[in-house]
Amino acid sequence: MTTKKVAMTKKKQATPSSPRHRAGQRHCLKLLRQLSAYIDDELSSDICEEIRRHLGDCPNCEVFIVSLRQTVVLCRHRPAHPLKSADRMALHRAILKKANAK
Amino acid sequence: MATALKNRAQPLPAPGPNEFDTLYRDHVDLIYRYAHRLCGETEAAKDLVQETFLNAYRGLKNFRGDARISTWLYTIASRACMRMRRKRKGEPKHELSLDEFVPRSEGEFRLQISTEGLSPEAALQNKELRQALDQAINKLPKKYRMVLILCDMEELSAKEVGTIMGVNERAVKSRLHRARLFVRRELSARGIIDNNDHKPGGLRA
Repeated sequence: MTTKKVAMTKKKQATPSSPRHRAGQRHCLKLLRQLSAYIDDELSSDICEEIRRHLGDCPNCEVFIVSLRQTVVLCRHRPAHPLKSADRMALHRAILKKANAK
Repeated sequence: MATALKNRAQPLPAPGPNEFDTLYRDHVDLIYRYAHRLCGETEAAKDLVQETFLNAYRGLKNFRGDARISTWLYTIASRACMRMRRKRKGEPKHELSLDEFVPRSEGEFRLQISTEGLSPEAALQNKELRQALDQAINKLPKKYRMVLILCDMEELSAKEVGTIMGVNERAVKSRLHRARLFVRRELSARGIIDNNDHKPGGLRA
């Protein structure tokens, strides 16, 4: 193999899987597993601090956690469907009728 | 009345009409709200309420007050819902695994919900966002949907949800996390979430 070819091969291998990139991905995946616990404030302060440091360095995870938090907030604020008075009474009658039927 | 039921140590021979009426009056709105969230539509929710209170009527004499009465009713409703064999369109037939929610590209990582700085209440005024959220929740397999609704909508603790579903807290939290990731991904697939370049999102009705 010529010197030029060796250099190209090394370059190809180094770019997509450099140690820094791999480490970043590992952190991202670890964070992904813990995101709900982080949002719900269930993690120890050490782990929270580690996650905050990672978020500061990783815009992808920062955006991801914002969108997950928004999902939770939207669920919490989704208005409920109220039961109509007429349905409340009709259901009560139907339940007692069925309960007392033999 | 709810307190009296909660504190009762000994089972009664049979529920008196007034006892059941009070139970119904105090809890029907709570159970209907839960049922509507679970079923996603009015008629099925009413069927579930009827089934729940019919079972509660029959089981009231055996209720020993080990749990809060609302927990007991949530449990009955959840079990009744599990018995309803109604598959939903688009509902995954498999267990949700964390691996399927691992973003495979930078773009996927950076999907976000465009609420444009609005409060959640104001954002949910948008019909498209509301429908997308409902449809995402309705597509969840039942056991994940139940956990999401009980934890994030009914705002019960993981311990209480575990009691209702008959699983431990760890399982509740694991299901909750997957359910949230599922809903987040579903919202993104519907165009409510847009890329980080802040193109117009679904909230501009």
